[in-house]
This record gives sequence, structure tokens and C-alpha cells, in this order.
Amino acid sequence: MALLQLENVSVAYDQQYILKDFNLSIEKGHLISLLGPSGCGKTTTLRLIAGFLEATDGAFKFSGKDYTRVPINKRNFGFVFQSYALFPHLSVFDNVAFGLRQRKVKEDEIKKRVMNMLEIVNLGGFEKRFPQALSGGQKQRVAIARALVIEPDLLLFDEPLSNLDANLRVNMRVEIRRIQQELGITTVYVSHDQEECFSISDRVAVMNKGIIEQLDQPSVIFQYPKSEFVARFIGFNNFIHFDERDSEGSFFTLRKGNYHFHAAKADGMPVTMKGAIRPDDLIAGTLQEINPGDNVLTGKVKVSTYLGRSYQYVVDTPLGEFTVNQEMQQPYANGQEIRLLFPSDKLVLVE
Amino acid sequence: MKKRYLYLLLAPGLLFLTLFMIVPLILTVGSTLFKDGSFTFGIYLQFFKDSYFLDILGTTLLVSVATTLLCILIGFPVAYYLSMMPPRKKGILLALAIFPLLTSSVVRSFSWMIILGKNGLVNNVLIKLGIIHDPLSILYTPTAMIIGLVHLFLPLILITLVGVLESIDHDLVRAAQSLGASKLTAFRKIVIPLSIPGLIVGSILVFVGSLTAYTTPALLGGKKRVVATFLYQNAITLNDWQAASAIATIMMIITFIVIGLMNKAAAKFNPKG
Amino acid sequence: MKTKNPGLALFSFIVYLFLLGPLLIIAVTSFEPGTVLKFPPTGFSLKWYQNIFDVEMFMSTFKTSIIVSLLGNVIAILLGVPAAYALNRVTFRGKDTLNAVFLSPLLIPGIVLGFTLLKYVVITFHFPIYTSLLIGHTIIMLPFIIRVIGSSLANFDFAVEEAALSLGSSRLATFFKVVLPNIKSGIIASVLLAFLESFNNVDISLFMTGPGVSTLPIQMLTYVENYFDPTIAAISVLLMLITAVFMFVIERLLGLTYFTKQ
Repeated sequence: MALLQLENVSVAYDQQYILKDFNLSIEKGHLISLLGPSGCGKTTTLRLIAGFLEATDGAFKFSGKDYTRVPINKRNFGFVFQSYALFPHLSVFDNVAFGLRQRKVKEDEIKKRVMNMLEIVNLGGFEKRFPQALSGGQKQRVAIARALVIEPDLLLFDEPLSNLDANLRVNMRVEIRRIQQELGITTVYVSHDQEECFSISDRVAVMNKGIIEQLDQPSVIFQYPKSEFVARFIGFNNFIHFDERDSEGSFFTLRKGNYHFHAAKADGMPVTMKGAIRPDDLIAGTLQEINPGDNVLTGKVKVSTYLGRSYQYVVDTPLGEFTVNQEMQQPYANGQEIRLLFPSDKLVLVE
Repeated sequence: MKKRYLYLLLAPGLLFLTLFMIVPLILTVGSTLFKDGSFTFGIYLQFFKDSYFLDILGTTLLVSVATTLLCILIGFPVAYYLSMMPPRKKGILLALAIFPLLTSSVVRSFSWMIILGKNGLVNNVLIKLGIIHDPLSILYTPTAMIIGLVHLFLPLILITLVGVLESIDHDLVRAAQSLGASKLTAFRKIVIPLSIPGLIVGSILVFVGSLTAYTTPALLGGKKRVVATFLYQNAITLNDWQAASAIATIMMIITFIVIGLMNKAAAKFNPKG
Repeated sequence: MKTKNPGLALFSFIVYLFLLGPLLIIAVTSFEPGTVLKFPPTGFSLKWYQNIFDVEMFMSTFKTSIIVSLLGNVIAILLGVPAAYALNRVTFRGKDTLNAVFLSPLLIPGIVLGFTLLKYVVITFHFPIYTSLLIGHTIIMLPFIIRVIGSSLANFDFAVEEAALSLGSSRLATFFKVVLPNIKSGIIASVLLAFLESFNNVDISLFMTGPGVSTLPIQMLTYVENYFDPTIAAISVLLMLITAVFMFVIERLLGLTYFTKQ
């Protein structure tokens, strides 16, 4: 039985639906990420769970109870904001103690729990400082401590790392994952950064236009995106629309015009006519290096870009343009004829 | 937040303004349109045929236009000068400009009575220097009103323009110069067009302020009346409520027309399209 | 960018002389020992300052002015703060219109407001003059409260409020514990600005005079029309001192840039 369930939830502003008949369920102890471009409804979903906005339709169940009409301040969820939202007029200690004071915890108990929590987020000794005197990373730790100290039933993160610089972001996401696992707390995490989501989540929900396109383990999404949207979002930008498909043992055989391809079958992979492959997974070679045959296209280099570790080529083929990344010493010249190999275990079918 | 909380928060203030401002205003306007129970524009037709009223209206408009133009002509260069100042110095100079703005209009108009009067500073100096023999009568003329009103409203246009000029990126002027424009051309083609919206906002404030000012014309204008003093005279001295209501309505209509036209102009001349 | 333009500097200097000179002249003439205002003064005396306290009308109207400005301010705060909060906290249809309604006392000529208050609130609906005076001053103070507190709230990160709610605080408690402490300086500044606006007001008070009711600026106006002794100059100096103190406080709270960013 899932800990949290959104059932056919709709949210609308001015007659415009942001979420419509939306469903989501989350297991206890999991960290689930909502990933998607801005405007996909991920933040709305999070704010709905938190209680900052009310659904126009549908139900929100938590621990088997109906939470749809429970006000925010009675939900006991911890929320970590993108802007940190620390109380500017209170010290670090008082910020973290705020929730406990609402719960009428005794002062000596508050002191113990706040100090303990500040240790957990590596901010021991900072309790007397005010938010203005903290760096972005420290502010975020205070915000996390403040949300955790009330021992919330659910922890919610709204793009918590997007205001931090790149290095700090990597450190903080390791931190967040460590704390979440240590305390075993169920967490919903919203971000538009796929690397961030993939690295810390048990499950990732890729959202688009108010619906979940795919909800799976990060590695599954990474290898087998279900839809073209998910595929594009995680970097598959080569697509082929096939004319014909057949099933042969553990492979699909596919045809587009006079060109034939094989794609390895996988659990849960949709059976469609649309193939997708990442630029990193395509293999480029000279006419001598790759022989013509199945899963091979011949084309001309149209654009060549130096990426540092590799070269990126846009190759014009009879089936359209394909982008390929290849590590090599000497780049191909513009206009040079080369061949592209589509490894059958990397070519996937998407909706 | 739920809508009903929202209306609950707005309701007391709205109710207050409706009861004590909007309803009286509507009743005032309405009362001018009915005579003996029938609808009529008669009182306005009378007003606009009355040369005494037209003279007052003319003086008011003349004084307001002159005040507005003078404020812009004097205010713009000074505001430009202020906007170029280093922050500390600018802060002090701004404070000195804001100080008169927050000082009572009675005090400020009174100061001009001391300066412009028959035995005032200006006449004393001019006589001592031998430029004139008999004191000039400046006080109690439209000129005195204009001087007093410029003094009253100049700070307003100064702070509005400094705000606008500060927001103009100085790199724009440098860019224009790097493209071959002289300093003056850069000023004319970059700074002035970008400050037009601010100039218009400032002009609205000054023009409407002058149009409806009471204290300064009352103290410096002598027997020369403007619309505001005429309204007061009709209401309090003559107890002619209908005439006073009509004057109030005319003042509001002119104010709204001016604001409307200026806002239109602001939209039209907005250099950012 | 620096401009070294001596012509512009000189022009600006003259304009500042024009702005501040008259106030300085008032200050100097207030020490005149004779019965007629003169510049330059013929000597030094504080007797006209003494006179302020001897003229009963100045003291009583001063008291009225203070009471009306303070009480009106309290009412304007009670009406204006919730409205400013609602206008800045959420977006809703008709918000711009409502905002315009709350700011409209700034645009409607004060003399018209004063007149309509007299005609309808006092005469037609028989409100006492003192009450009507208070109502009029509350009306003109409201836009200052709405605007200054509104700009404080516009800079306030409402996520902070949501944080307090998510930690278990109720809406009302959150407003007092989290929102109010963070817009404190805006509130104080708006109170001071509104106070000055009300205390210096002539247009409305002009119509709200009656037996035993009048404000200081109206009393000064009447006095100036009849006498030309330095008492008014002396009062002016005291009023300017109050203004200077208020400005100093506002500058500390909001910075002077507040004035250029309207």
C-alpha cells in the first residue's frame, strides 16, 4: 500500500488546467523525483502535496487518510524552498526551532533537537548567525534542518539546489541523499536537472504538460525512455520513423525504405515504429572502417563541432540528419563520406 | 489563499473609501445635473458663458502650464546633474531636494510673501542697487503664483526624473559615443528619448498639482482667483453649493482628461514601444 | 560617468538656492525682535517663539492636528495594511482596478475631496465636524500606507510565509510572527510619510473647521492673512525641525532612494 496517493487530481488557474486527472503514488521511504521542463506541472504537484494550493478535483490520500482538505499547518510535512525562505529576522537557531515552538515542545528539548539537527547538516557552531551572514550552501542546510527537525511525515524539495554553483550542487545532492536514507524519510524532489534527479532518486517521474510520461527507476529511464518526449529530454536526439516492423526472437527487425535495422527487445519497451538513439551511442567510421549492411547508413559530414573530449558531427544521410559524438584524434572533414553504425542494443523503440 | 479571505482583507478599506469618498463624489457630480427634478447641463452652460469664470479658468490653466514647463526646463538639467553624482553626494543633494517637499505648503508659500512683498527681499535689493525706485508689485500676481508653485513642485519633478535618469544604463551613452555620436548627440538621441516616460509622469504630477492647488494661490495670488480658491469661495463664503459642486466636477473632469491624455502620450512616446 | 560641466554645476547651485533659500530666510527672520517681518532681521530675539505658546489658538489647533494625524494614521494602518497585503500576496482579476481605487485619493483634487466631505458627510449625513476631519485625513493617508507598505511587501519573499505555514504556524500567527517583523521599516516609514501628509494638509482641513475645530495649517493660514509678524516664521522653523527628524528616520529605514523609486 502506497504511503501517498494523488487520485485523479486536477488543478486549474483561470479555467486553464495545469494538472488534469493526475495520478501518483509513492512508497514509504522512497525518494521520488519529479523531472521536467518548466511549466510541466512538477512544482504544482509538489505545492499541491504540501497544501499550498487546493485541487479543483480529485483526492489526496496520505497514510490511508484523506488529506485533501487538511490545511498546510496541520499536515506535518517538511518543505525546502528554492529560495531557502529562511526567516530573515531570526537566527539560525530560531529558524530551526520555529516548527518545534509551534508544536509547544519544551525549550530544553528544543535546544537538544535543534543542536543535534545542526550537527547532522554539518552546521554545528552556526546557531547564533543570521541568514544574511550565511553562504548559499549554508542557507540550504539550515532550510533542510528546519524542515527535518519537526520529524515530518513527508519531506518536499522544490528545486533546492538551483541557486547554488555547480560544485556545491554535487556535494549537496550527496548530502541530501545521505540524510534522507539515514532518516528513512519519504521524499518528493522537484528539479529540472536530470543528472541531479537520476543520481539521488529511487524513482523518477518525467513530466510533460501536466501528465507523467514515465515513472521508473533512473537506470530504466536512462536506457529505455518510453516516449519521444522522455527520449528527447534525456538526450536521445536521433529518431527514425520506420515503415515496417517484425519480431524475430529477441530482436525487432525494422525497415525504412531499403534500409534494414535490428533493435534488441527489452522489458517494458513499447512496440512502435519509432526508433531513437543517443549521439554518444552511434558509432561513426570511414568507408573502410565500417562495411555497408544492416544497421548502417552512409552519409556526408555537414557540420563538425569540437566538444573538447570528442567531436560532434551532423551527418546528412538518405534517412535524414543524424548527430553523432565520437572521440578521435583527427576529425573528419566537412563533406567527407562516412558511415554510421546503429548498435542494435542501443537502438530503442519509443512512443 | 482562498478568495474569501482576500475579500475580507480588502473589504474594510473599500467600504471606507466607498462611503466617504466615492459616494460623496458621485452625489456631488449628480447634484449638478438636476434642477427642479429634471436633467440639465444648464449650470455648465452658464459657467462657460460667464466671462468671470472663464477668466479664472484661463488664469488657472495658464499658471499650471507655465509652472509645468518651468519645472521641466529647470528640473531636467538639475536631475541630469544629480544622476551623474557619486552616490553619497547624490544622497545629500536628494535629501535637500526632498526636504522642501515634506515641508508645509503654508510655510513655503509664506516664505515667498517675505521675499516678493512690497518691502520684501527682492524689492529691497533692487532699490538698494538703484535698478528701480518704486517697489515692484510682484506679490499678489499670477507671476507670484507661478514662482510659488514652481518652488512647490520642482522637488517632485526632480526626484521623478532622477529616478528615471538613474535607470538609464550609462553604457548606452558610451555605446552611442563609440559609434561616432558626440556627447551632445548621445544625450539628445539616447538620454532624452529614454526619459520621456518619466518626464510625462512628472508633468502629470506638476500640472494636476498646480491646477488644484489652494494654499499657494490663496497666499500669493491676492485678488486673482484660480479654480480652487473659487470653489472655496462659492462653498464657504457664498454658500452656493450647486456652483461649488459644478466647479468641483469641472476640476475632476479636467484632472482626469489631463491624466488620460498624458498617459496616452506616455504610451505613444514610450521609446521601448 | 562623470561630467565636468561648470555651467551645469552653477545652474544646479542656483536652483538649490531657489529651493532652500526661502526656507533659510524664514528661519532667519523668525529671530526678528520687531513686530514686522524683515530680512535681514534687525536683531536677535526668541520672543516670537514664546508667542507661539502664548497664543491659545496655536496650541489648541496644534493639539487637534496631532490627534487627527495620529488617530487617522492608526485607522489608515488598520484599513490599509490588510488591503496592501491582499493586493500584493495574490494575483486575482480586478486587482489593478482595486489598487487604483486605493491610490485614487492621490489623484482626486484635495479641495474637491474636502468639499464633498463637507457637503455630504457633514451637512447631509450630520457627521460631527471633528469626526469628518478624521475621516478626511484617513482617506488621504490610505494611499501612502498602501503604496509604501505595498512596496515593502513586493520585496518580501512570500515563500518565507509558506515556510512558517508548513512548519505548523497558523495564518494569523504567521502574519504577526513572520510577515510583520520583515516589513517593519516599511510600516514605520509609511506612518511617518502619512503623518507629514496629514499634518501639513490644507485642502481638506479647510472645509472641516467649526466651533473649536481647526488644524494648525489652517490656523496659520488665517493668521498670515491678518498679521505679518514673525510668529508664523517661528512656527515654520519648528515644523521644519519635525520634518528634518522624520526624514532622518525614513532615510535610516528605507534609504533616500525610496523617494526616487515611485
